[in-house]
Amino acid sequence: MRTRISLTLMLVLLGRALVLHAGEYDFAIPEAEKKSYDLGGRLETRVIHHRLNDDSARNALTYYGKDPGNAHTEWRGLVELSGSYGREVWRAFLLTHHEFVDTEEDDGWDHDIYEGFVSLTPSAHLTLDAGKKRILWGKGYAWNPAGFLNRPKDPDDPALNLEGRVFAGADLIKSLPAGPLSNIGITALVLPVLGDWANEDLGGEGDLYAALKIYLLWYDTDIDFIYFDGPDQPRSLGLDFAKNLAENFEVHGEFAFQQDAARRALDPGGLARETREDQMSFLLGLRYLNAIETTFIVEYYHNDGGLNENELEDFFAYQTAALEEWDRTGRNEILQRANLVTRPLSMGRNLGTDYLYVRVSQKEPFDILYFNPWAAAVVNLQDLSFNVQPGMTWVPVTNLEINFRVGIPIGPPGTEFGEKPDALRPEFWVRYYF
Amino acid sequence: MNRPITLTALCLLVLLPMPSAAPAEPLSGGEILRQVDRNLQPGDLEMYRKIINIEPDGKQKEFVLWFLKKDRDKVVTLFISPASEEGRATLRLGDNMWLYIPNVGKPIRITSMQSVVGGVFNNADIMRLDYGVEYDVAGLTGDQGEYLLDLKAKSGAVAYDRLKMWVLEEELVPTRIECYAATGMLIKTLHFKEIRDIGDGVVRPAVMETDSPLYKGYKSIMISANLKKRSLPDEVFTLNYLPRVKDLR
Repeated sequence: MRTRISLTLMLVLLGRALVLHAGEYDFAIPEAEKKSYDLGGRLETRVIHHRLNDDSARNALTYYGKDPGNAHTEWRGLVELSGSYGREVWRAFLLTHHEFVDTEEDDGWDHDIYEGFVSLTPSAHLTLDAGKKRILWGKGYAWNPAGFLNRPKDPDDPALNLEGRVFAGADLIKSLPAGPLSNIGITALVLPVLGDWANEDLGGEGDLYAALKIYLLWYDTDIDFIYFDGPDQPRSLGLDFAKNLAENFEVHGEFAFQQDAARRALDPGGLARETREDQMSFLLGLRYLNAIETTFIVEYYHNDGGLNENELEDFFAYQTAALEEWDRTGRNEILQRANLVTRPLSMGRNLGTDYLYVRVSQKEPFDILYFNPWAAAVVNLQDLSFNVQPGMTWVPVTNLEINFRVGIPIGPPGTEFGEKPDALRPEFWVRYYF
Repeated sequence: MNRPITLTALCLLVLLPMPSAAPAEPLSGGEILRQVDRNLQPGDLEMYRKIINIEPDGKQKEFVLWFLKKDRDKVVTLFISPASEEGRATLRLGDNMWLYIPNVGKPIRITSMQSVVGGVFNNADIMRLDYGVEYDVAGLTGDQGEYLLDLKAKSGAVAYDRLKMWVLEEELVPTRIECYAATGMLIKTLHFKEIRDIGDGVVRPAVMETDSPLYKGYKSIMISANLKKRSLPDEVFTLNYLPRVKDLR
């Protein structure tokens, strides 16, 4: 009896297999099976070669008393693991980040929880989130002046995971029937500062910060109104928008007003001064796709908190003067102090007030599938120095992504990109997803 | 006595209209297009789609996505395979399209001519609305047991300016669609194959193949399966919901 059942089962399975694979097409989609959990992750290895800029005062300040040679290579190895589990109306999510960094100055592991939160969705109208979750607001590609809570991002490596922020929040959605206003979404967040693990960059222990975003889809235009406030941060109001003007043409923008925001600058003598002022920053951008699938992204960014032309000159003049004085006197404390006062400013992504970002990418040229070469440039419109960065992304086999780019800062001494520590910065990285 | 009655009956039979024998009213182009839409994407539904990009040397890459449609102009897709694409979601509301990439963390606007999967299919092919939403019938002719519809885009926001659609007269499903740019250039041809029940009793072509003179030797295939009629709230088809749409699977 058991033999007969086994035989029947085998015939049924064989028949099914033949049916499924009959003909030219395989109609079976095993991935359609629903699971209550997800597990995944990615591995990454990244090599960055720094060909040092001999004329950079920043290098002299960083490496004084050492001999870094004219180049060094940095290596980074990365493992990220993600998992989620959900039942009915709730889901828990975890993303961990483990990175080994080997640079000229340091090496060692860094372990972080990038995201870890629980979501409760009792209806399609309402979701409650609590925990650590990524926040990225604003429509800009290279900068997000209205993204007051955003972590710094790399516009030329958009797949890079960013660390989340700890918050409790609610998200309300309402779709409206026919009319110019189609959707409304309201996101309200409360962000506490707890020890050195929750929002410690925002303010002091026990502080509470509030953020609100109201989204409208109005006349086929995305519009966000953003509000952020708290004890140690300026009251901030933001507005962003994005709209497709044609099937291949998109425009976007952001406006940010920060009340009583800090402005840091140096005088030619190296005296750091911090003043308070209202700042109005904005970004305007467009994305255009032509008939041969070349994508152009152009953005103009006004950073009201950046150094103006005179302040930029003072900043570089002070660095140079400090070096000259050290040359004359040999007193290390001159460079120690110069390093201390200039580092907070030079560590920021952009020093100045007015920038242009241009990116051109070509989809799959020469009929090479999943190969996308690109070139990007950031121009400081005050001193006209710039960084050109050609690169490429290629996915030769499923789940394996190869990236390459070369940063080439160009500008005379005393300009933002002319003073960058690297004269040339080739970077190569490979990601494997599982 | 019997004879006149029989004669009268015969005359009546001849004179009375016979509905079953009358020639059927020919369908208009608009009616054919409406029926094509109803047969391809019947109402609110969910289904799975497997996209296979095939290179000239035979190398293949597969993507699996979950497809949700509501009304005639709301579409959400969620990539569930391969791992590098898992969790990516797209939303289409009429002419508006967005892509959500989990690593990026925010939805970005995309355009219909871009492609989220590479290969020959673009976003308009993957997140296609009902043809009747985007096109008007500009002409109708017959061609060897098939209708030939000439379709003109209703606005400049549509991916292809003109379509030539061959439709089986009996089944009212397309067999081939040629897609043209405003310049008259043929951008791609879609071939519909394998008419079968793809789920919930919906019988339609399960396979759509495409080739393009712009990608000589390359081919992309989309297989539709596991269709279920399912109606979800409008709020699911919004930007704020896009990052958690996977919870609905």
